[in-house]
Amino acid sequence: MLATRTSTARSVQRLARSFATATDSAGVKVAAVDNNQPTASVTVLVKAGTRFQPKVGVANALKNFAFKSTSKRTTIGTVRESELYGGVLSSSLGREHLALTAEFLPADAPFFVDLLTSYVTSAKFTRHEFEEYVTPLVHAETEAAIQDPATRAINAAHALAFRSGLGQPLFASEHSSVSVEDVKAFASQAFSKGNVAVVGTGIDQATLASLVEKGFASAAASSPLSSPATQYFGGETRIDAHGAQTVFIGFGSAGAPSSELSALAAHLSTNSSVKWSQGLSPLASIPGVQTVYLPYSDASLFGLLVQGPTAAAVKESAKAAVAALKSASQNIQADSLQAAIAKAKFSAASAVETREGLVAAIGPKANIFSTDLKHKLNVFYKKVDAAGLSKAASSLFAAKPTYVVVGDAAALPYADELGL
Amino acid sequence: MFGPMGASLAPYIQSSKTLSRWVTPIATWYANAAGYRKYGFKYDDLLVEENEPVQRALKRLTNAEQYDRAYRLKRASQASVLHHPLPKEQWITPAEDVRYLKPHVESVHREEVERAKWDNLVVERK
Repeated sequence: MLATRTSTARSVQRLARSFATATDSAGVKVAAVDNNQPTASVTVLVKAGTRFQPKVGVANALKNFAFKSTSKRTTIGTVRESELYGGVLSSSLGREHLALTAEFLPADAPFFVDLLTSYVTSAKFTRHEFEEYVTPLVHAETEAAIQDPATRAINAAHALAFRSGLGQPLFASEHSSVSVEDVKAFASQAFSKGNVAVVGTGIDQATLASLVEKGFASAAASSPLSSPATQYFGGETRIDAHGAQTVFIGFGSAGAPSSELSALAAHLSTNSSVKWSQGLSPLASIPGVQTVYLPYSDASLFGLLVQGPTAAAVKESAKAAVAALKSASQNIQADSLQAAIAKAKFSAASAVETREGLVAAIGPKANIFSTDLKHKLNVFYKKVDAAGLSKAASSLFAAKPTYVVVGDAAALPYADELGL
Repeated sequence: MFGPMGASLAPYIQSSKTLSRWVTPIATWYANAAGYRKYGFKYDDLLVEENEPVQRALKRLTNAEQYDRAYRLKRASQASVLHHPLPKEQWITPAEDVRYLKPHVESVHREEVERAKWDNLVVERK
């Protein structure tokens, strides 16, 4: 009884400070949020996304190399020991970051932080592990990406829109020539102190900082990886493939993602807030249309993904979607603008409540939420008005669109047939 | 003494300076007298490969090592057909006769031992 009482008292204290603060621990940025949840997680966020890779597929191989043998433990040791503690290990790759995540019970933090940091500081990258474990995973991911027309269209759209850097594909090419030496060389550049941030949830900031300091004591300190500033190009490509007929109409822009664009994406988003309803989006009545909004650190890609069973149906939908997009962005009503801003704010705020969303939001700068989230969001969306929105939209249309078709390339429409 | 490669006194002999000074000349003589170098073999070509660990170890060789091994085996079979050793310039010299496969067999063995350890682990919760 006494024990429960003290823990409640402590939790009240903890709840008072529920936003992350970032500190520097031995040259590594550390941020932690403790919402008093029953499990904890630690993510090591490495600036080693595909935009920094020297060769296509290297970042993907590095991601799949996660949790293999290090100088401290072997592969099987890593797996079995974390199973004994009841933890979950995962790695994920984006265009900007590689995230290595461990989820565990709070008491086991020392072990899991050590496991993560030992991969970053002392992974062995043996050739036989690369051939026996990593290569099959890399191939499987490439194969899965090729089978999915939406993934394929968005990958191709990135290549057209940004060419190098952000344009690099997330997956290895089908006939990859990546060797373990390439992975090792990339890792030695990427796994240095200046390139890494650690984000914890359900764990105390001071505890995490001291564990990270211990783990990274031996890490190399070199300058962070950099890639040239992103430029937007645009263009058109047609890919013959099986599966759903897919058209992606993208509008990209270089520079930091703007609040206007994210409000526009929320306004057009066809995800309705209520089940079985169509929602208020101007695109809601058009079958097979989804909006895609992908903000990056120095560019953003906004687009419509149109999918359907036949090329004719897709052409109809895409035509209607482009017309709706043009009219919606030019004359938006004041109340639907407010609704769009509220929707964008809500989705940004609710994304932070999940672990992945939090890491995506905190990680890149590791200090963005040093103040109140609500305040930040209000400031971000304060300036959005109807005029600004239509200006942002017209600048989108002014640039050359990124147009990708995947499916029956002979029958699917060309960009000019849709009124682009 | 009983490693993955069978029983061997070599580690014990190598650890003693006096013993290895005595035994090394005999070992060199024996390796030459065994005659496998005359047929273009390295010692590790003669390892019994019809078992799981060695098969896995063979897969860990680099492509170049695998090609060279296959070439040596073929060349030796041909010499065997001819009932005559290779011409002397093709003999494997002691410097070339390196244990290219042994480290891989040992690493496979270490992995198996570790897997057995984790499989039979008894956890004591404190």
